[in-house]
Amino acid sequence: MIVREGDQVPPWTMASVSAERMQTMAAILRDPNPLHWDRKSVAQLGIGERCINQGPLGVGYMVNMLQSWAGENCIRRMFIRFPNPLILDGDHIVSNGKVTRRFEENGASLAEVETWLDRDGQRGLIEATVTIQLP
Amino acid sequence: MIGPISFDQVKHAKGHNFRGGKYTIEHWENFLLTACTGAELMQSGAVHPIALFHLPILGSGTTIAEMFSLGLADSDMSIAIESYDWQLFEPLRENLDYDVKGKISEVTRHNDKPEDSGLIYDRIVFDFTVGHKGSPMASSTVIWHYRRGLT
Repeated sequence: MIVREGDQVPPWTMASVSAERMQTMAAILRDPNPLHWDRKSVAQLGIGERCINQGPLGVGYMVNMLQSWAGENCIRRMFIRFPNPLILDGDHIVSNGKVTRRFEENGASLAEVETWLDRDGQRGLIEATVTIQLP
Repeated sequence: MIGPISFDQVKHAKGHNFRGGKYTIEHWENFLLTACTGAELMQSGAVHPIALFHLPILGSGTTIAEMFSLGLADSDMSIAIESYDWQLFEPLRENLDYDVKGKISEVTRHNDKPEDSGLIYDRIVFDFTVGHKGSPMASSTVIWHYRRGLT
């Protein structure tokens, strides 16, 4: 696999964020916050009857993109920021990435990738700087 | 009306150690977790890396609800996420007993955009380590903002 600084990572798409998956995730996380599983609770906030996606699920879309590209278990470190993380059920989300650095460390070939989630052209819902090990 | 939480009320959370403990991700949990992201299980049998959110929290003996409570959150919606910093020294595996420790390492008060909103928040840093048989496997730092006085 040849990777150069400036390379774009092939995007990964979640066609429609699922409320049912959020419910399952809430159970796995033991997270009692109803904003992730009760649309009527979210409606009280004035943003419609759509559940709010858990932050780690959005990060999961980034992970899926990177592992589809560089292989399973490629991720060494993720520094994740949440500038505008309100992702709702039904949203169409695209994960993107760009290689910003190539380097070697302890004999391993590594790359730093800036990743971000878009919704309908709105960039930067969640952003991450990710260190991956190249095959 | 009860006023916003004072910094004196929340600053004592700094240095709080969670009791620590073990956490094992069984196959069913990895299957569901991975499916929630829209991916297929990894052929290598590794656990999906987003387990680095809940494995340290639950393994250290706390919960999301307790973390909200320790910071005296006004409500579920008053929490904003600043960042997660996840390091994987080895891929996470199913059916391994991971040893987890966690603590609150920082509590600081901030006044964001004082020229307009005057929003006050407490920034709380949670640090977790994940090991197996004495070797470090992963770490997670969670930084949340506990926003005060939102209506």
